[in-house]
Amino acid sequence: MSRIVAARAAIVVGVLALWEVWARLANPLLYVPPSRTLPALGRLLSLDSYPDLPENLGLTLVEIVIAYALAVGSGIGVGFGLGLFRLLGRAYGPMLAALYAVPAVVWYPSLMLFFGLAAASKIAFGFLLGFFPIALAVLAGVRQVNPQLLTVARAFGSGRVTTFVKVMLPAMLYTLVGGLRTGLALSVVGVIVGEILGSKAGLGALINHAYGLMRTADYVALILVTLVIVVALDAAASAMERWAQRWTG
Amino acid sequence: MDGMIPSEGTSTAPTGASSHPTGASSHPSQAFPGKELRRQSRRSDDAWSVRLLQIVTVVALVAGWELVARAGWVDPLFVPSPSNVVRACGNVGATALWGLADTLLKTLIAYVLSVVLGVALGIVLGSVRHLREAVNPFVVALYGMPKILVLPWIVLIFGFGVLPAIVYGIIHGLFPIMILVIGGVRDVDRSLVTVARSLGATPWQLDRKVILPAVVPSVLAGMRVGIVFCLLGVLVVEMFAGIRGMGYVLSTLANSFDAAGLFAATALVSTASIAIVLSLEVLNDRLSRWRG
Repeated sequence: MSRIVAARAAIVVGVLALWEVWARLANPLLYVPPSRTLPALGRLLSLDSYPDLPENLGLTLVEIVIAYALAVGSGIGVGFGLGLFRLLGRAYGPMLAALYAVPAVVWYPSLMLFFGLAAASKIAFGFLLGFFPIALAVLAGVRQVNPQLLTVARAFGSGRVTTFVKVMLPAMLYTLVGGLRTGLALSVVGVIVGEILGSKAGLGALINHAYGLMRTADYVALILVTLVIVVALDAAASAMERWAQRWTG
Repeated sequence: MDGMIPSEGTSTAPTGASSHPTGASSHPSQAFPGKELRRQSRRSDDAWSVRLLQIVTVVALVAGWELVARAGWVDPLFVPSPSNVVRACGNVGATALWGLADTLLKTLIAYVLSVVLGVALGIVLGSVRHLREAVNPFVVALYGMPKILVLPWIVLIFGFGVLPAIVYGIIHGLFPIMILVIGGVRDVDRSLVTVARSLGATPWQLDRKVILPAVVPSVLAGMRVGIVFCLLGVLVVEMFAGIRGMGYVLSTLANSFDAAGLFAATALVSTASIAIVLSLEVLNDRLSRWRG
């Protein structure tokens, strides 16, 4: 075990060292050696290079929260609608799945045209990306509930609500939570993609600004900050998933 | 890390839609729709009422949209009526088709390279246990990372045009294929390997006669997932810093407020990608039936 950890650490150190050497030899401006990244990160976090970082970070987080909330609400609603009403599920499930096969980014220009450059188009795109995996996971979850369990529950006289809460939800919870986690990751990506493809505020706008002015070290520092947010959100989702796994046994 | 991505090539997945990877995936193709599409159409009972409902819904949606647009409840600058979109097909058709061809060519190059690299690296990492344990977390992390963050960097390093699109397409396509193949190699039935070894198989024979055939389903699954990822990567580059291709066409139409043309082009590229996914799905089904 400890040997594996050592090997992983060696890989990280090795990659960083190679990167440092390569960047210095080839083009320090373009490849940004790690030794230049750390000071840039310090300047970014002390609000030296981008004093408006907190506002932009806040805006991005707000966009993510709204987009994800919309995706969860409508994804769960549509998923249960399609799962519980068999005809609807068989008619619209395949259509939903087919739309999911389209690389969603092709819809972004239309959303930008319709919602403009401000936060609304990012929220719409984050919602669109997050909605599909949630709806499809709920649909799949409802379908994977063993019908015998439902029959037995009904035979023992449990009502609709009890059957739903005590039988159906536990049986599908793991799939549902998996969908919620994928949906969160995709909502985050949607908002960030939207910001980078065109925006005036938010983390993506700062990234574009740094890139446009060739402030590459600041750009890498901004990427690192964004990655921390992404990883933290996913860690939260993963904790939720483990909890669901334990709860359903 | 086990079971991070359910391999859909194996028949254990209950439905097409349930197979989303639970990892921090940032991509649109976890649920492969083709299986769902055809699994359902195979049932014949009340299939026609399902079909009818689908047709009625689409017709009602288009008719309602036309009505709303004609009545002037939405700004025609942003939401064109369906009839205008159809008319716009004539105007933007040629441009969009050329753009699509350009995009698909780049996607194909990126896809072939992703599959070759992904399968080769996946087999190497999958069969050498220590290497796999050391490297696998990084592969999973790279797969889960939002690749949009490195896009400006890719464009700075590789400039504008074909090369950044192909590189970025590979960045999208490589990791899911690798992860699926690593999983496939890791899960090869140990007893097969033991039997082959005890019967005196050389490492080369082991690879060729035991591991490779056993890995085919996960390679196929990787190939299905990879294509949409590559297409996505190429389109994003074209939108961000394109000078040609479908992504560039779409963002140009949006920037010139040609809503009807934009809708027509979007419909074209959507149809094309659905068609690609479905045909890969059919091909995959044929192949797995042929394997038995």
